[in-house]
Amino acid sequence: MDGTGRAFFLGDNVDTDQILPGYAMSLPPERLGEAALGGSAIPNFAKIAAHGDILVAGDNFGCGSSREQAPVALKACGIRAVVAKSFARIFRRNAINIGLPVITCDCIDQITAEAKDNDVFEINIQAATLTNLTRKTGYVLKPLAASSLQTLHAGGLINRVREKLSERGEQLQSGQLTGGE
Amino acid sequence: MNVIEKILAKKAGLDHVKPGQEITVKVDLVMAHDVTAPIAIEQFRKIGVSRVYDPEKVVLFIDHNIPSSTVESRQQHRTMQAFHEDFGVQFYKRSDGVLHQVAYEEGLYSAGDIIVGADSHTCTAGAHGAVAIPLGSTEAAAVMALGELDLEVPETHIIRINGKLNPFVYGKDIVLHIIGKFTTNGFTDCAVIVTGDAIVSLPSEEKMTIANMMIECGAMIGYIDQGNGDPGPGAAEYDIDAAEIVPVAACPSSPGNVKPLSQLVGTRITQAVLASCTNGRYSDMEIAASVLQGRKIASHVNLVVVPASRRILEQMEENGLVKVFRDVGAIVMNPGCGPCFGSHQGLLTKDDVAVSSTNRNFPGRMGDKAAQVYLASPRVVAESAVAGYLVLPGTITKEV
Repeated sequence: MDGTGRAFFLGDNVDTDQILPGYAMSLPPERLGEAALGGSAIPNFAKIAAHGDILVAGDNFGCGSSREQAPVALKACGIRAVVAKSFARIFRRNAINIGLPVITCDCIDQITAEAKDNDVFEINIQAATLTNLTRKTGYVLKPLAASSLQTLHAGGLINRVREKLSERGEQLQSGQLTGGE
Repeated sequence: MNVIEKILAKKAGLDHVKPGQEITVKVDLVMAHDVTAPIAIEQFRKIGVSRVYDPEKVVLFIDHNIPSSTVESRQQHRTMQAFHEDFGVQFYKRSDGVLHQVAYEEGLYSAGDIIVGADSHTCTAGAHGAVAIPLGSTEAAAVMALGELDLEVPETHIIRINGKLNPFVYGKDIVLHIIGKFTTNGFTDCAVIVTGDAIVSLPSEEKMTIANMMIECGAMIGYIDQGNGDPGPGAAEYDIDAAEIVPVAACPSSPGNVKPLSQLVGTRITQAVLASCTNGRYSDMEIAASVLQGRKIASHVNLVVVPASRRILEQMEENGLVKVFRDVGAIVMNPGCGPCFGSHQGLLTKDDVAVSSTNRNFPGRMGDKAAQVYLASPRVVAESAVAGYLVLPGTITKEV
């Protein structure tokens, strides 16, 4: 989950209908990326996003629906992490549960003001830092809760559930683990 | 502890809980629908467990795309059918209605229960004294396997509305007033108790409308006072005089962009929608039918009517409401979510302007992202459909 990438910038209240419009909700998971941010200010996002890119947004990112397809679509586009002033509760939990780091920051306006298109950023989720490598400016993020970090390191909530059930003595089939980074 | 904290403590097997505390609670019901269940099922199968925690308490609903709107949505129905056959979970699949409405009608939960649902409007059950928590598909899968949910005890905010409500003010106006006042992220991660004599005395269906839209303030839990005495203390308390609440609409393109209807009269509309888990209930249909009977819908307006459940549709048929709607030129659909979430049954172009009794008007929610959607009470939807533009409720009441 740590590493470098370009940043894309969005405003406040980017809701789940903007992140993944209703018409795309019945697409199979492997195709969800095609519609990512299709209803947002960056409607061509799916075409221009590259593996490792970062989203930087304002307040209340992910408000609205409980649709997990929204963070899945961002992850499918290769998004490494979302940094925002604040997140809607269900979106934040969904993202962590599927292994997409979402992290808050008090200096979003500064990050946005100091950045230019195609600047390269480095993010470190554990250390809660963001660096604009192009401009050589660093920013402090709000550290994630221990339970969120644990879920991310486990590669998502499903692996933690498997651990819990195993501890209770349940016999589990091998299943397809999603695998962390 | 307040009423929500007492329920959380009991279900966590603790004497006491406080905000911020990490607890694990037993879950009495877990729900998912045709858009969220397929991912939950996929995730559940990855866990590799041979059973769900209790097949009676895991309930799936086909309500969003019914009948299937695309080949892919039909595949989602088939995935759910297979899960139902493999694990014996409960399954409502024949246009029985929107999950929140059906769960209430079928008595799938009681006051004091903890219910979770892979749908953000799960908070509707807070109208009946349940602690109802919306979550995503993966978390629903975890609950299906474990029968429990990890959560952080939320801070509780108490909204108290006392006094006498104005004429033509409904549950929808009350909740839109709250969302307008506290904004769409005013209660993120918090629990909200709505209380006061103006609330406790409301009919049950109006309370459901208020509880349903508490998610539009970002709330984790919405709970309507059940009238059994003081609901207990909160981290913050707010008093609202019922008299300050007037008929309102949420303007494009946010449920928080709330204005008095008096400022919006004359806004031309091209579609009116009477539907959804927010306001597709029988009393909503009755109010709309009383306005529409013997009239015609304005020639440039489509009125789409989607009952929230089969029971509601049956009651509408028995009492002649379906005929009233059809006679005035409305399109009465099968029970379900209909056009509310932008997949089918009445999508809008960029030039359309709609007034809808549903719960969201985010850009693109109901079709093209430039379409304009106003959210208002069923009465306003019906009267505006007749006028062809937004009107104050009570304007279209005279005999034809």
